Amino acid sequence: MKILIADDSRVMRQIVIRTLRQAGHGGHEIIEAENGRQALDLVRTEAPDLVLSDWNMPEMNGIDCLSTLRASGSTVAFGFVTSEGSEEMRQRAASAGAAFLIAKPFTPEAFDDALRGVI
Amino acid sequence: MTVVVSAGVPETEDVLAITEDVWTALLGDDATLVPRDVPPRSSFDADAWSAATTISGGWQGVVTIELGEAAARRLTTRMLALAADGEATDSDVADAVGELVNMVGGNVKGLLPGPSTLSLPAVAAGRAAFSRDTVLACRVDLAWQDGPVRVSVHVPQEGPR
Repeated sequence: MKILIADDSRVMRQIVIRTLRQAGHGGHEIIEAENGRQALDLVRTEAPDLVLSDWNMPEMNGIDCLSTLRASGSTVAFGFVTSEGSEEMRQRAASAGAAFLIAKPFTPEAFDDALRGVI
Repeated sequence: MTVVVSAGVPETEDVLAITEDVWTALLGDDATLVPRDVPPRSSFDADAWSAATTISGGWQGVVTIELGEAAARRLTTRMLALAADGEATDSDVADAVGELVNMVGGNVKGLLPGPSTLSLPAVAAGRAAFSRDTVLACRVDLAWQDGPVRVSVHVPQEGPR
């Protein structure tokens, strides 16, 4: 499986990759994007099976990236990994077509719970 | 001068709990933060890195983190899982400190009336400077591995200026 991680923080991308490994999901191919615009391009050119995206990013944020993907017909599995885990944000994410929202700070267990339904 | 703080400010205990949760998630067993006794209205007393994020909308405020230089570098080393003697660059430290305030700020935002938006973090090598148009709503002073850590929340000042 190919997983695209979109986050403007290199540190957080590293932590997400490490947490995937700790959650027992370490064997997948990982590609990275620094913002929603780059993620959009990589979904089109690399055809990942899953996108794990931050919400707040420069250039294009995660929710706009997801909305653009869905408007273009993409059905790629998409989950947020964001510091904003309120009910309001979860509803916005679900309405836009996200499969899950993992709130930062997170645990490997939270990753496993969220990814089990997708991977 | 009359200073009135905007209604609905985060509780100090909540900001402390959020900060401890972030530290625990990032550092596990090495996450122990201890309270630090600092006089009110004192500036951060160390060579520092600082980062701030602004919450706008249903609630207005600024969440800021300041860390001592050594603590910021150690934390970055841990977040990047570098070897103990690995050296984090200034760019790494800026990235890590920005991510810290993003995590704390996002969780503070979740406690307050919305809908609101959270800004991208602004990071500086140096202690934080606060606008005269804001007033301190709460502050948490801690130490991590002997290095100072401060989290503060400022809100717009209301009333005559």
